Amino acid sequence: MDAFQAIADPSRREILRLLSRDTMTINALADNFDMSRPAVSKHIKALDSAGLISIQNIGKERYCILNQEGFDELQEWIDYFDTFWKSKLKKLEMLLNEKAGK
Amino acid sequence: MNRDIVHRWQFRQSPEIVWEHLTKPELLSQWLMANDIKPEVGHKFRFTTNPLLKFGFDGIVYCEVLEVDPPKRLSYSWKGGPGNGKIALDSLVTWTLTLKDGGTELLLEHTGFSGMKNYFGYLMMKNGWGSKIRKRLGALLAGPGK
Repeated sequence: MDAFQAIADPSRREILRLLSRDTMTINALADNFDMSRPAVSKHIKALDSAGLISIQNIGKERYCILNQEGFDELQEWIDYFDTFWKSKLKKLEMLLNEKAGK
Repeated sequence: MNRDIVHRWQFRQSPEIVWEHLTKPELLSQWLMANDIKPEVGHKFRFTTNPLLKFGFDGIVYCEVLEVDPPKRLSYSWKGGPGNGKIALDSLVTWTLTLKDGGTELLLEHTGFSGMKNYFGYLMMKNGWGSKIRKRLGALLAGPGK
């Protein structure tokens, strides 16, 4: 699941909103929802797999933490295009020089 | 965080030749991607390439020509997404050609990256996200020069 799919669901957005205030245990998060605990766990797993949160075991509790790196997808995209254009322009240069040489 | 991509490249060839390689589909496809560009304002065209699943990109770049001033300046919108008409990336590509040292200085600006930014902006307005997340996402959400 990517970040877009992950935040398309209202319950998952609510989880992110709660975690934006503070780190919370899975149990504490579940208390905020009417749905079953396994259902909340499923959403948490989805957010975890999308990289938007991470789960850490501290003592006996499992804590959910908002993961900023998951929100950096856009920066990755920009970095990708930066490299993309550099290689494409190099290709254009080679192409033009090849033609000039003929 | 730098949101704009800028590349300057020097070519030995004239601006007219470089311009042809930016605006003729058969020449443009030889170094960039398969396309159906026409240097006419308002012309809608596509680049097609391999999908990038990691970024939720289906391999099609949707473009619309916004500015044409041969052989000096060309700009078009550059949009992409995971398919089904969803747009995740909304940006702008501008080419500026300048005669220099008997050749061409080509300036590429790929700017206005949004998409994620808009999406999170929308979420924040809708859900009233707290100041903590505003700070955490500040670098990402703030546009260039804003």
